[in-house]
Amino acid sequence: MLKNYFKIAWRNLTRNRAFTIINVLGLTLGVACCILIYTLIMHHLSFDNFHNNKDRIYRVVSEYHDGDESGYNQGLTSPVGKAIRNTTTFAEQVARVISFDNELISLPKEKEVKKFQEPRGIAFAEPSFFSILNYPLVMGNQNTILSSPNAAVITQKLAKKYFGSEEAAMNKTIRIENKTDFIITGILKDLPNNTDRHQEIYVSYANLKDYSEWMADDANSWQGTYSECHCFVLLKKGITPAVANAALAGIVANHYNGREAKARKFTVQPLADIHFDTKYDANTDKKYLWALALIAVFLITTACVNFINLATAQALNRAKEIGIRKVLGSMRSQLFWQFIVETLIITLFAFCLAYWIAKTTVPYLNNLLHVEMELTFFNNYKLLLFLPLLLLIVVFLSGSYPGLVLARFQPALALKSKLSQKHIGGFSLRRILVITQFAISQMLIIGAIVIASQMHYSQNADMGFTKDAIVVVPVPDTTKIKMSNMRDRLSSLAGVEKISYCFQPPAADRNNSSAAFFNNNPEPEHWSANQKNADENYLSTFGLKLIAGRNFMPSDTTREYVVNETFVKNLGLQPKDIIGKNISVNGPNHKFPVVGVVKDFYNHSFHNKIEPLVIYPDYGRYIASAIKINMNNIKTILPAIEKIWNEEYPDYVYSHEFVDDKVNSFYETDVMMLRLIQIFTGIAVFIGCLGLYGLVSFMAVRKTKEIGVRKVLGASVPNILWIFGKEFSKLLLIAFVIAAPIGWWAMHKYLDDFVYRINIGAGIFILSILATLIIAAITVGYRSARAALANPATSLRTE
Amino acid sequence: MIKITNLEKIYRTEEVETIALNKLTIDVKEGEFVAIMGPSGCGKSTLLNILGLLDDPDGGSFIFNGVEVAHFNERKRADMRKHNIGFVFQSFNLIDELTVFENVELPLIYTGVKPADRKKRVEQVLDKMQIMHRRNHYPQQLSGGQQQRVAVARAVVNNPKLILADEPTGNLDSSNGNEVMELLTDLNEQGTTIIMVTHSEHDARFSHRIIRMLDGTTVTENILI
Repeated sequence: MLKNYFKIAWRNLTRNRAFTIINVLGLTLGVACCILIYTLIMHHLSFDNFHNNKDRIYRVVSEYHDGDESGYNQGLTSPVGKAIRNTTTFAEQVARVISFDNELISLPKEKEVKKFQEPRGIAFAEPSFFSILNYPLVMGNQNTILSSPNAAVITQKLAKKYFGSEEAAMNKTIRIENKTDFIITGILKDLPNNTDRHQEIYVSYANLKDYSEWMADDANSWQGTYSECHCFVLLKKGITPAVANAALAGIVANHYNGREAKARKFTVQPLADIHFDTKYDANTDKKYLWALALIAVFLITTACVNFINLATAQALNRAKEIGIRKVLGSMRSQLFWQFIVETLIITLFAFCLAYWIAKTTVPYLNNLLHVEMELTFFNNYKLLLFLPLLLLIVVFLSGSYPGLVLARFQPALALKSKLSQKHIGGFSLRRILVITQFAISQMLIIGAIVIASQMHYSQNADMGFTKDAIVVVPVPDTTKIKMSNMRDRLSSLAGVEKISYCFQPPAADRNNSSAAFFNNNPEPEHWSANQKNADENYLSTFGLKLIAGRNFMPSDTTREYVVNETFVKNLGLQPKDIIGKNISVNGPNHKFPVVGVVKDFYNHSFHNKIEPLVIYPDYGRYIASAIKINMNNIKTILPAIEKIWNEEYPDYVYSHEFVDDKVNSFYETDVMMLRLIQIFTGIAVFIGCLGLYGLVSFMAVRKTKEIGVRKVLGASVPNILWIFGKEFSKLLLIAFVIAAPIGWWAMHKYLDDFVYRINIGAGIFILSILATLIIAAITVGYRSARAALANPATSLRTE
Repeated sequence: MIKITNLEKIYRTEEVETIALNKLTIDVKEGEFVAIMGPSGCGKSTLLNILGLLDDPDGGSFIFNGVEVAHFNERKRADMRKHNIGFVFQSFNLIDELTVFENVELPLIYTGVKPADRKKRVEQVLDKMQIMHRRNHYPQQLSGGQQQRVAVARAVVNNPKLILADEPTGNLDSSNGNEVMELLTDLNEQGTTIIMVTHSEHDARFSHRIIRMLDGTTVTENILI
């Protein structure tokens, strides 16, 4: 029986090649996208789930709740880890790890001094770090690797890069930021691609004092929170997070007073949440993953709808076969399974193609999304379960309804070709299915337009400062003479318009914040102020506009402040009223007058609110030089800057970044999401068009006689075309009525993440329906025109 | 073998009610060859569909081999059909996607005959119908007469007790038509009961008895032997 099913299925499929190709192509694309989305989701869900005690591993994080102001920081004040170890009992192990990005590594004891700028930086880690988290060693003793000062552990990759091999790297010396030497005591297995810890160099925590005396001082650094100062704990068995949080509350009570004791909170964050909790440092929002999963469901649904539509439309052509089989004694169930086998053949073929397409596409997707996914059957039992499950779902979703329709045929009618549309579910069913497809396509189109519009707005809206033609280079040495030389030499270059030394450009992903004290008030305000350390050229270089007062005078140290509008508004003042008043940041002792107020500018991405901020000179904190250049000289000016920089800082590695590129990088996740939505929308629309083409082809054949008769009676070609156009326009409009509110709601949810955002206007909906209309018209047009232009004499004779 | 009493079949649409069979009563004995004649719309095909268990009557009784089958559900009807009844149609109704052999084999598949037996039985019947040399051809590659011989082969391969033939020569020329009628006569002589719907007086004369119908009921019965 099964052999017979396969045989007739194969012959049917080869006989109806066009429909088979449409179905296979639609299912292949839908399934390929589904596999890719599944791989992407599983990749993200697998982050850091390889650690042995993953369910007991937590990161201690900070919260701040003061009045209406709330803040979350993945970092801690550095002594918290030590306090947990010494004064609480909930943790089996505690490890502090403090990391710094973009560090200079040199190999001082090699024949030729080599320098490497490592963007992933270094981490000062306590020895227990490698007992809590499982990053296996290929060389070295886990119990001793970081237990003594000046020890370092690097990955296999870096060992090969620096010294040629892992063996050669052991016991060799690396120097960090031209300051401290470390002996390599262990080699880490290369980091897996599904961990959020990127550092490939771990050094003894005991050496933190060489890097930041303030952070290493456990007695006196309870105030400043550095976002990369992390503390991991392995909870004792049976200890709940609530118990740990209660103990952490005790630490707050012991080390903070007054309002700060009430506002500050340390809590434990489960390891599994680190990758997804965007309140902290995660940049993968789970809701985007679920949105992608929904898109996968949409794509599979669209492909299945195609299949159902075409299969039921074709069912009449198979009436005779079904009638005969019934006459010969076939049961309904046998006919149903026969059709399911046919569906299985098509779907299996589509799955094989889809897997190949997905496998081929993964490297491109990795490149596009900056991830390192792998798609392989080996050791991937989840994929081995997912694919057969998906196959079953697709087969039954696509095949069940047409199978039931076919099995239900009355043999007496089927044999006499007396079956009509109503016997195959009527045209209304296929209308509903086409509406479903159109609605899905339109929702995706609305989504793509909204995200693209928001991205265009984010990347092109006036941020309140000049971001074009400004290149930022690092300042590794802040001695006055060096900075002065550098400024003089750069200024002499043709094409350099302005130079400003600063901590960060106006908009940055990392910012320093501090409590703000106003007008001799001993208590800080309920909000903190963002600090921009910069010289007197900062305002003119970045085109920041003063709305009251003046710029601060040239100075190496802080004597005056410039604040922004939000700072003034938060105090409930008018800009002119704050001029001359004293404020203080970085503690109550840095009290200086405000001399100017600048118009608000965006100091983060449009995802965040504009913060109150204060700009003031403090040359010791300058780490960047912002150089405004004339873009006409771009070809000569960048090499010239690099040459001067290398001459001034021969011990360091040069790098540069354009401010507009930096701003664009704030929206990397959004741009990725947009690209994915665009790709999947395109595919959904294409699958829908395939189905539409198949359906209109079928409709044209079915209506051959009607068209012939109408033409004989005087109908023009446009009249005939309208038969098709009317049908599909109606369906499209109904789909739009369904898609528009859902699309509006979903996109409002998406835009909620942007503090500064576009409005979803009528234009977006008009554009989406027009796009669908045009696409549908192109799809339907050719086949309808052929039907309309057919000679009625021929078509009536055929009938 | 067949006892039909007061059989009724009414086709209803929203506005129209058409009585296809009106309290029809017929008996057919085992081994009989009965021809049913009548003008278009008199109910011949409806009767044949009900006799073939392809359709339900709306009233009356239909006893087949001593069993009341009028209200059998679909499963029982299919089961009864595949074991007892063979069909021959005017338009042959062969499955285009299957070869001659596969078409004839199909009823045996549905009755669960093992592959080796199927092969043997199909070859026997194809041989008997003198169509063996065409076993691997598709229906489109055969003449009308050959197609109908394949259809007859398919109808008899399961050794049914009853063959229902719906205008079996309607699409054939007289020579091929006669061949088919002789095949049916041979089968009848071997003991198979045959009920044939026809418009052809010539074909009807091959039968033992002619039942003439009008407006859903019998008007005359002519016994020919």
